[in-house]
Amino acid sequence: MQSRIEQLIVKLNELTSCNDFSECKQQFLHELIKVKAEVEKIQFKYERANKEKNILSSLLTRTSIDLKKVTEKLEIRAEELSTLLSTIPAYVYFKDVNLRYMLVNQFFENLVGLKSNEIIGKQVSDIFNGYSNDVYLEKERFVIKSGDAVYNIEEEIERKKSKRWVSTNIAPIFNAENQIVGLIGISWDITERKHNEEELRKAKEQAEAGTFAKNEFIASVSHEFRTPMNGILGLSDIMQNTPLTPEQSDLLKGITVSAENLLVLLNDVLDFSAIEAGKMELEFITFNIKKVFDDINLVTKLKANEKSLEFLIQVDENIPEFLIGDPVRLRQIILNLTNNAIKFTEKGRVVLAVRCIKSEKNKAFLRFEVADTGIGIPPKAISSLFQVFSRVKQEKSKLITGTGLGLSICKKLTDMMDGTIGVESVQGKGSLFWFELPFLVSDSHEIECKITGEESEGVSYTKLVLLAEDNPINQKIAKYNLQKMGFEIEVVSNGEEAIQSYCKRNYDLIIMDIQMPVMNGYQAAKTIREVERNSARHTPIIALTANAMKGDKELYLEAGMDGYLSKPFTFDSLKSVIKSVLNEDF
Amino acid sequence: MELKSFSAETTNQFKDKFQQIENQGFIASTAIIFASVNVELDEISKFLKAHSVQVFGSSSCGEFLYDEQSQILSEEAIVCLLVKYTSPNFRLKSFEGEQKTSFLLGAEIGSWAKSTFVDPAIIIVASGLETDGEQLVKGIQSLAGENITMFGGLAGDDAKFRDTFVFSEGRLLKNGALVMLLDKNDFDVKGIATSGWVGIGADKIITHSEGNVVYTIDDHPALDVYKEYLNVDDKDLPGIGVEYPLLIKKPGKEDVLRAVLNVDREKKSLIFAGTVPQGATVTFSSSPGFEVVEFTRDKVTAFYEKNKHADYLILFSCMARHNALGPMISEEIDQVWENWNIPLIGFFTYGEIGNNYNSMCDFYNETFTLVSIKEK
Repeated sequence: MQSRIEQLIVKLNELTSCNDFSECKQQFLHELIKVKAEVEKIQFKYERANKEKNILSSLLTRTSIDLKKVTEKLEIRAEELSTLLSTIPAYVYFKDVNLRYMLVNQFFENLVGLKSNEIIGKQVSDIFNGYSNDVYLEKERFVIKSGDAVYNIEEEIERKKSKRWVSTNIAPIFNAENQIVGLIGISWDITERKHNEEELRKAKEQAEAGTFAKNEFIASVSHEFRTPMNGILGLSDIMQNTPLTPEQSDLLKGITVSAENLLVLLNDVLDFSAIEAGKMELEFITFNIKKVFDDINLVTKLKANEKSLEFLIQVDENIPEFLIGDPVRLRQIILNLTNNAIKFTEKGRVVLAVRCIKSEKNKAFLRFEVADTGIGIPPKAISSLFQVFSRVKQEKSKLITGTGLGLSICKKLTDMMDGTIGVESVQGKGSLFWFELPFLVSDSHEIECKITGEESEGVSYTKLVLLAEDNPINQKIAKYNLQKMGFEIEVVSNGEEAIQSYCKRNYDLIIMDIQMPVMNGYQAAKTIREVERNSARHTPIIALTANAMKGDKELYLEAGMDGYLSKPFTFDSLKSVIKSVLNEDF
Repeated sequence: MELKSFSAETTNQFKDKFQQIENQGFIASTAIIFASVNVELDEISKFLKAHSVQVFGSSSCGEFLYDEQSQILSEEAIVCLLVKYTSPNFRLKSFEGEQKTSFLLGAEIGSWAKSTFVDPAIIIVASGLETDGEQLVKGIQSLAGENITMFGGLAGDDAKFRDTFVFSEGRLLKNGALVMLLDKNDFDVKGIATSGWVGIGADKIITHSEGNVVYTIDDHPALDVYKEYLNVDDKDLPGIGVEYPLLIKKPGKEDVLRAVLNVDREKKSLIFAGTVPQGATVTFSSSPGFEVVEFTRDKVTAFYEKNKHADYLILFSCMARHNALGPMISEEIDQVWENWNIPLIGFFTYGEIGNNYNSMCDFYNETFTLVSIKEK
């Protein structure tokens, strides 16, 4: 601008001495216009600046207010986050993509016993000496690579010789461009929980061991009981067939009844412990319910007759003949109730009735009732009747035998069969025990439970039986019974002798006790089957044992035995097993 | 192609000058006319119809004409470029905008363009206060394709913000558009659009808007926010609004400027030249310093280097540039003349339309939008 004005002054000075005034005037005016334009521009810039000053300063002021507000908000936010981080009862850390700590909270500092500035930029192995959990590092690398979070990584860490259990969640951190820039880890101290878990596990193990020991104890006790019981019952049976004075015969009956009662007791205890341990499994087979009643009738009628009681069975015609269920346990419930009824009834009768109360598709709901004309049950006692060891106190003390487990076993069995059980009673008039059970109705009449069959005495030709039994009394009982069936008997005292005899002679049947010295029956049976493996020979073997616990039978059959009978046995039960094993009548 | 150009201050002067040229034996096929609303536009329109000349006309906020005789920026005047095309493959057509949305108006234009030429180029002027420029462009693109070659501007009214007009021979439209359609097989149509406006301040959110009407910004009445931030009086609006547009941030795309063209004092809303989507992030913006002139000149020269041969040029320059740059505005326009030395006609607009760097067409505010036309 200055130079333009100077030029203008030069032109002005030239104007006076100019040759062509008109030309010079034109040039001067031209310069003047240019200066005017410049002045206009300067003028505009000045005016514009004045005009804009107001607006721009307002915009800038507002902007600074806005930014201040935003900053304040961010500061509050940061403060909140910081509070959150420092108060959250967890170890929180941020790591970059190279798994170096970027930020940790107070709890984390306390855990490792280092200040934040001693942790930042370091890796986990720098903080926890000797840290070598590759699994954990692998998970962190996975999070960085995949962008997926990983939850509940449990590990035990050591810092300053103190061990802590922690559970960690790791999640990726994304920037605004959605790129993974690191990860956040949150760990909780679960040492307490871990200890509790450990305690719990130990307690559970102990409890399990206790239960196991209890079962073992019961198994061995039952074995120990059964062996002498077998002896008593068997010898009584033998003695009954010898010449006795009437007095001796009465005494012997007393022995037999006592032994039988003891056997019932023993069976109740075994059943109950099996139910308690959850080891009682129900069978699920097709059976003929009428046959069950026949059996019950046979047993119960005798007992009723002994007390001069009438025993009646009333079976509804509508009941399907073939059902699917557990006939043995059904019989057990009914017998328990009928035995009780007889036990508590001095005169009159006991009636077993059964009817179908509902049927749908292939299901039948049966109601069983056992009614007696006995002493009845006081109302107060009814509610606890089906509880364990519940016995009704009798005013007139009478000799009532039983464990008190009978009804509670019935209750448990009906529960297991999805049924219900109950009682109605009028004291002095009698009681009515009832239970209702659902059964599947069988299409096929093929009976899986073969409890039927014609009976015939005697064997058409003499069969040779090897009896392996170490207990001399049991030897005698078994031998007596087998001879009665018409077998020729050879007796050995342990498994090894049994094998030796087996190799010398061809037996029609081997009856093998399990618990024997030198070699047990289980081992002996396995060896015999090993010998037979490459030949056509198969000598039937029946396990005869006091090991009456669940699973025993399966174990023996697996070892190659063909049949199983638990002690104490009766003549009939032994005969029945032999018949099914030899698959022929004798 | 043959060209004649002139400027006039009054309707009568316009008629005389036109008659002179016609008397010289120059029979124009098209007259490109940009004129102040103070001129009798209707009269000019009828006059040219009587002379069987097709008209591509728009009212302005100041107009300019650069040719051999003179290089002038005028106010409240008329500039005219008479064109005699050699190729017959050009069309002019006016479109009524009443009773329809800007999008529908655009769709009508797009449909006509595509059915007229296989590969058309559109030069368009549309009424400045009635049109949502963004919706107009989208409407055209909806039927003519996103990459349609298109340049143009929204008519002005000397910053009165009352009535703007576009006109053809015998038809004056307060709400509508006028299109000059060129067949790209016969014509080269190229252009640039450059702004230089800068965003100022913290991000704000458009919390309520419908089309080009903004009701609330950060949940406060839009008019209140605008006045408070700029510290301006009611009487300054909407005039000041063209100079201080909102800058709309489009993630991954070029930011766009949207100028305030009107206000609704009752509803406390702002009416923009183009759509301002609800939820958009915006900032206020300010005209650049005078150094923007150098920036524009460089862009013009770079465009010239690639595109030296043209028959004539049209410039759509935002009226806000004129306000902000004052006498310096001529320095931007002078650069065009200095480079090409061919007729340049143009006006100061209420909005511009052009193809940007990735050849997509868009609606702008505050830009210097230059288009060159060459017959092949």
